[in-house]
Formats: sequence, C-alpha cells, structure tokens
Amino acid sequence: MERRMRGRGVAASWYGIARTATIDRAGAWAELDDGGTAKIVTGVTEIGEGILTVLAQVAAEELGIRPEDVTIGDNDTARSPEAAHAGATRQTYMIGNSVALACRDARAKLDAVIAAHWGVEPGQIEAFNGEIWAEGTNLRMTMEEAVDLAKKRGVVPVGSGAFTAHGTGLDPVDGSGSPWQAYVFGCQVAEVEVDTVTGEVQVLGIWAVHDVGRAINPRGVEGQIEGGVVQGLGQALMEDYRLENGHTTTHGFAKYILPTALDMPQINTVIVEDPDPKSPLGAKGIGEPALVPTAPAIMNAIYDAVGVRITSLPATPEKVLAALAARAAAQQSVREGAQAAE
Amino acid sequence: MSDLALEMTVNGRRVKRTVPPHQRLIDVLRDDLNLTGTKEGCGAGECGTCSVFVDGKLVKSCLMPAAKANGARIETIEGLAAPGDLTPVQKAFHKTGASQCGYCIPGMVMAATAALRANPEADLEEIKERMGGNICRCTGYTKIIEAVELARDVIAGRISADAFAEDAAVGSFIGSNVRRLDAPSKVAGRLRYAGDMVMPGMLHMQVLRSPHAHARIVSIDTSAAEVLEGVACVITAADVPGKDGFGVFVHDQPVMARGKVRYVGEAVAAVAAEDVLTARRALAQIRVVYEELPALFDAGEARKPGAPVLHDYAPDNVVKHIPIRKGDVDRGFAEADIIIEQTYQTQQVEHAYLEPEAGLAYVDHDDVVTVISPSQNITHHRHMLAKIIDRPINKVRFIMSPVGGGFGGKEDMIYQGMLALAAMKSGRPVRLVFTREESIIVTAKRHPADITYRMGLKKDGRITAISFSLLSDGGAYGLSTEGVMRKSAILSLGPYDIPNLTIDTVGVYTNNTPSGAFRTFGAMQSQFATECHLDIAAERLGLDAFEIRRINMMRDGASTHTQQVLGSVSIGRVLDVAEQASRWEHGPVGMRGPQRSDLGGDDTRAPCTLGARFRDGVGKTRQEVA
Ligand code: FES
Ligand code: FES
Repeated sequence: MERRMRGRGVAASWYGIARTATIDRAGAWAELDDGGTAKIVTGVTEIGEGILTVLAQVAAEELGIRPEDVTIGDNDTARSPEAAHAGATRQTYMIGNSVALACRDARAKLDAVIAAHWGVEPGQIEAFNGEIWAEGTNLRMTMEEAVDLAKKRGVVPVGSGAFTAHGTGLDPVDGSGSPWQAYVFGCQVAEVEVDTVTGEVQVLGIWAVHDVGRAINPRGVEGQIEGGVVQGLGQALMEDYRLENGHTTTHGFAKYILPTALDMPQINTVIVEDPDPKSPLGAKGIGEPALVPTAPAIMNAIYDAVGVRITSLPATPEKVLAALAARAAAQQSVREGAQAAE
Repeated sequence: MSDLALEMTVNGRRVKRTVPPHQRLIDVLRDDLNLTGTKEGCGAGECGTCSVFVDGKLVKSCLMPAAKANGARIETIEGLAAPGDLTPVQKAFHKTGASQCGYCIPGMVMAATAALRANPEADLEEIKERMGGNICRCTGYTKIIEAVELARDVIAGRISADAFAEDAAVGSFIGSNVRRLDAPSKVAGRLRYAGDMVMPGMLHMQVLRSPHAHARIVSIDTSAAEVLEGVACVITAADVPGKDGFGVFVHDQPVMARGKVRYVGEAVAAVAAEDVLTARRALAQIRVVYEELPALFDAGEARKPGAPVLHDYAPDNVVKHIPIRKGDVDRGFAEADIIIEQTYQTQQVEHAYLEPEAGLAYVDHDDVVTVISPSQNITHHRHMLAKIIDRPINKVRFIMSPVGGGFGGKEDMIYQGMLALAAMKSGRPVRLVFTREESIIVTAKRHPADITYRMGLKKDGRITAISFSLLSDGGAYGLSTEGVMRKSAILSLGPYDIPNLTIDTVGVYTNNTPSGAFRTFGAMQSQFATECHLDIAAERLGLDAFEIRRINMMRDGASTHTQQVLGSVSIGRVLDVAEQASRWEHGPVGMRGPQRSDLGGDDTRAPCTLGARFRDGVGKTRQEVA
C-alpha cells in the first residue's frame, strides 16, 4: 500500500421539518409603517442561521418593499407573539410562513384602500421593491405614498398570522403515525486521503446535495450546509467527550479537539428544490439535515481508500492504524493459511 | 499585591486605569472600557475570539496580563474602522455571509486583518494557516476564507470594491442572496450578547457545583458565605418557592440539587455578589456534607437488576423506549438471501458553541421577573419558570439575547432559574457568565449510541427486513432524551422502503454528564449506522453505492417506517444530482480507491502540509491594510 491512499464514499439521508410527532405552531405580527417600511414581530431570534434576514426577505416580498426596510422586533415573551422555539429545523418553515401570512393580512388592508382610491379591484394591486401599482393600468405610486394615503383614510395596515404544521403522535405499540408534514432528503459524497503511516484522515472534498424545498437565501443555505458538514467532520474524525467515573477529561479546547480552517474540505453544494405543497412559501429547511450524511460518507470513503471499516466514531488516527494493522494481520494469516494448504 | 497603574493607547485614545494585578488585558477592555467586541470564548488561548492588536501584533488578550500592556498601543475590533464604517475585510465578511452566530467573528476579522497585513498577497493555503488558531463552530470556515480572499483582491486593486455590494434581486427577494442584515453589527463587534450586557447595580453570580457523580446531600451551610462583605445573597434549592423541576420533556431536574446530586458539575448553591471574585470567595465558604452513593456510569448496566436507581419515578432507569414495527420481520429475514449483522458506536459530542452560557435577570418595576439569555426556547422556559417561582405567567418574562451558537445546547433551562431566584432574593440585577470549562462540564452533550443492526437482502439488493436497536446514555437528567429517542427511531432506517422492520431506541439514566438536544436530535446517530450498513451490503452483493440506494429508495407516495404515506419524495433526484456533481465513477463497493479515476480535481482541496507562510518571499512585505 502506498503511504497516502485516497477514496470516496456516499451516504444519503432524510429528515422531518419542525417539531416531531405533534402539532407545531408559530405566530407573527406585521405592520406596514411610515416611509414604506415595516415592522415584523415574532417570538424567536437569530441563533446564527440567518433567520432574521430570511424573515426580512419574506416580509419584503409579501409587502412589496425591500429587505432593508424591514425592522424585526423579536424574541420577547412579554412583547411578541409566540413562535415557540429556535430548533428542530423549524424557523424558516414555521416562522417564515407565519410572517408571510401576517404580511398578507396587512397588505390586504393596504390594497383595499389603494384599490378604492384608484377605482380598481384589490386583486389588480401588485407591489415590489417599494412600489405599488394596479396591474393593467398606469396607476403607480411608492409604498411611502401608499402608507401615507392609508393613514390619511384612517387605516393602519397591520396584520397577524399563525402557521400550523400538522404532525401526529406515534402509536405506543407499533409506532405508526405521521410525525411531520414536510420531509427533506440529502446525499453527500466524501473524498478522503488516509495517511497509512500516521493514521490521519483528511477530507479533501464533500459534494453536498440537499432538497430544501425552496431556497429563500441560497448563500445562507450554503452556509448552513458548510457548517453542518464541518460539524459532521468533527464528529467523524476527532471530537470525543470523555468521562472517567463521571468526571470529564476533555474540559477545554486543548483536550476537546475541534475542526479548524485547516481541516475543512472543499465543500461543493448543490441545492435541490422540491417545494412543500402544504405551506405558503414552499420552503422546508436545512439546519440539521446538513449534518446527517457527513460522518457515514467519510467512513465509507475511508473503506474505499484503505479497506478498513471504522464502525465506532470518531475515526481517530489511533483507531485507523489499529484497523490497518488488524487488516494486515488478517491478510497475512490468509496468506500463511494458503501456503500451508499447498 | 497592590493595584497597578496602567497607561495605554486604545483605538487611538490615551487611557489611564488602575487595575488589580490579576486582571488580564481582556478584562480591562471588556469590563473597564466597555469594549465588548473582544469576546472570551475559552479564556485559555485556544479559540481566538479575544484577538486584539498589541503594538501591531495579533495577541490573544485572554493570555495577556493587563500589566504587560502598559505603554502599549492596543487596537480592538471597535477601532478598525471609524464608527458607522467598515474596513474592506469587514465588508467582505458582510458580502460573503461569513458571519453566522457572530461570536467568533470579531476575532476572525482581527486574524484576517493580521494575515493580510503580514502578507497582502497571501494565497489560500497561507490564509488558512494564519487563521488556523481561530475556531468557528457555525460556518465550516468556507465563507470566512472566501471573505479573506475577496478582501485581499479588492485591497490589491485586482477587483473593484463594487464586489462588496448587494447582488441585485431580479423580480423577487425570494431566492436572492440578500446580505445578512445582522452582519454589520457582528463584523464590527457591536452586537451585545448576554455576557456583554450590564445594568446599573448589577451583581455577579458564581455557582457551587457537585464534585460527586452521585451523592446524598446531608447538609448545606451557607452562613459563612452570606456574611462575607460584598455578598448580596446565597441561594440553594430551599429558595425555590414553587414546584421545582425543568426539562424539555420530563421535568426531572431541579434548579439546584435537591437532596441529591446526580452528576459532576450539577449546581448545588449559587452566590450573587458585587464582583466575580467576591462571589468565588464566598463559594469557598459554603460547607456541603455529602454522602456518596453507588454511581452508574454505563448505559448497558442501567437496566440490570441491582443497578443504582437515579430517579424514583423510573426504577428501571429508562427515560424512554420508542418501538416501531412494520410488516413481519421474521418472514422478511426468512426471504432474505443474505443477512448482515454489525454493531456501531457513536460518541458523546460537545456543542462547543463559542459563546459560553450567560444570562442577566432582574425584577422590573411591575414586579415582572425578567431573564435575558441566549435561550433557544423562551416560550417553554417561561412556562417552567412561572411554576418554579410560583408566579402568574405574565409576571415572568424571557428575552432571547443574540445566541452565539446553540445547536440544541441552549434549549435546556440550565441556569436561568438560578438567576431569577437570585434577582428575586437580592432585588438587584444579577448576571452569570459561564467559563468554558463550566460550559463543557455542566451542559448537555450529543447522545452517544450503541447500535445493533441486522439487515436481510435479496441477491438483487432489495432489503427484505431490518431489525435495529439503539441504546443511549441519557446521563443524569431527562432533558431532551425522550424526543431524541423518538426522532432517532423514526428516521433511523433512512429514506428507504423497508417492508418489514423492528426499531427500538432506548435512552437511560446514568450518572454521566446529561445528553440532550444536539443538531439532528438523534437522527445522525441512527442514520450513521444505516448508511455504513448499506455500504457493507453493497460490497457483499457487488453493487455500486448509488445503485443499492436507488434500488431501495422511497418513491413518490411511499409508506414510511411509521406508515405515513408521503407525497412527493425527492431522494431519487437528489441521488442523481449527487452522482453527477461528484463525477462519481460507477463500480461495486470495495477498496476501489487505488483504481479510481474520479479522484482529485478542482472541486477538491489539496492535502494540507503546514508551512505555507514560511515559503520563500512570503512575509517579507508588511503593509497596513484596512
Ligand atoms: S483564545 Fe482567548 S478567549 Fe479563547
Ligand atoms: S459564526 Fe463562528 S462561531 Fe458562530
């Protein structure tokens, strides 16, 4: 065997969106505000995934303004409607859709005023990027003017929305049930290089293909996938929380090893869009699913490279070397057996 | 030792301070100068979130005694650009989406600035190497490195600064790469996380933690701590006015140990004092008498007769067992041409978000008990805290501060209860910031898993039956174990059509660090086994890795393992795209690496060999950027 051996592996995955085996719910408020801006209020905040930007994009699209015109007042149990929790790959799906519904409610109030003003049907009213117009006419004004007009007619364009995802509990005996209404699917391919002298594994490439329903912000989706892949890589190759009689021996980053920029593979993301038919936006989610196939794809790639199966994570250099030694010993005894039989 | 007089230039302004001798540079910057863009991710020189320039050199300010900075010129993240402006490096981070939770980002911006100052022509390898001392848990580094390369090229004039501008949205904001709205606040170090927040009259909390894995608490004597000067209050389980207990599913964990400790690091008492040091001194004055109990450290032992029992309500130590059954597995295995058995293990994993737990609690003018913290579930926390402190739900308020990484680890109400109790008892705002060590020892981990897998297949690759069982160490408290076992079970067998199956997942109590919610909620553990097992099966049957998955994949209208009938199923499309995108060479699973022709290429990176920054000519030029 050469010192450095390369190989590739595949793993697929699936995942359910929002809370498991239960009804999930989220609420939001929206107001088209002076200057053609907007306030959106909902009960969760950013945990890093980019949800505030996603919500601003959704609100801008639904209200006909620009994302930077949206102010998000969030995250306070005494000041905002319930949006439940920031987890379960539910933020875009649950909160995104509730914001869309709240914005449609607010827009309907504005559109009614503007349609009456222009003498057209509310269904003719369209808005985008700070402008509002009546389809099939040359009637057009800015959102700033439209909001001003509504207020002069005594209308504050406010709306509310709540979105529900209908999961059902599992039967206690056979587990049957419909835990989610939306599922996503994924597949990752890993290319690794194994150093057969040190046992070290480097992941050189990952091809990550994930169905997200609809990508609201493709760069944000990529960021989630890249982060998930590197967390998966950490679990696959190095991270290991250790305990001895209940006391941890890995109580700092010197002992608990995390991936750094030097460990990251080139990550090639392809987004697949199979829109969710049960929600206004069609988007599903990506936060958690991105991590699922990484570790098995890497293990399968190690096998492809050097013929050893690591079935116990993480595949540390010591474990890989031990497996290589066991494989060599097994091949040796097969050879000796064959010689003895001659 | 007496206090030290300190004089330095910080972001171009002269600063004079008298500081206690134990203070580090980071303390002076954050606590005295309110420059909280410099973050403390580890306090041990291992993460880079505290990076600043000292006389032009990149330094980890958590390692530098304040005294050593005397006379120095300090530059922090807040000083890189004029207020309201951003440097090219910061603009590039904004453009590429390099900041997610943002907690590592000030340090990353400092390291990137240092890299380009040291070598404005640094190539990809050198950039990665120079940034190698900074940890990010969110981004996978890809967009951070992309940002540094973009900044380098703009600074060098190779590309126009227009590259930092927003991509124009064409016809719709849905599907467009709108730059993150929170990025400027993160790249400039302006965003305040809970540990950066201060209130007038604020007290500091420190927590006394159990040194034992399992012990009865015979007595707690807090009298000496209470009379210490500077101590406002000491709290224990005895201060809980309502029904004590929290958890994501079963509420089996008291705010502080109640009669018993069940794991090392469990909170036993807490002190709120004028400063952290006084609070720590007070902890040393608390006398706790323990009587050690036999402890349980192995999930396999938990259900054996005679095992120590951790919680009275669960004499078998089982937190949750989820069974799933479909079809007839005996018949399925009887029909199989081959049967493959294998066990798999996955380990406990630390979330390692860069922001350690932190929170600030106060009782407002309307008597509302308010807790500001990076909680991932303010709704549920409010419910639980209202019961614990016996207040109407509208007299309890949770505010979710920016979360410096969560990944499920901040779903547990592990410290917010203590903060509320201390704020109520002292009548003053109280802040608690975990150390990195505390964060690792105390908070939940990814559930480890022991998996036994049996799969029957026909010669053509069709799976006829699977029996899958997973045992997991849930640790001392329930937290999310029930839900993790459920999700792990439902998703275990992957996106495949399996006619006959039995699935069992069991989470048990032990005296180990609790396991809890962690990105994928049990699904990566179980699907890890399925995906490795399919590879073994493909090899035995001489099939390609994509082929065996296609033979078995769910199709539109499939019935899942829990007998849910699906609509559209995209896995077939996803597999096709993955096969093409990766230029996959078709062939049976085996040790194919040596013969493959699809290895390498532009879509892979070069293997890493350290030393890029020591190559000839590199590092000789030094130039101010940004
Ligand atoms: S390196 Fe200083 S806080 Fe981590
Ligand atoms: S963005 Fe780097 S740690 Fe969160």
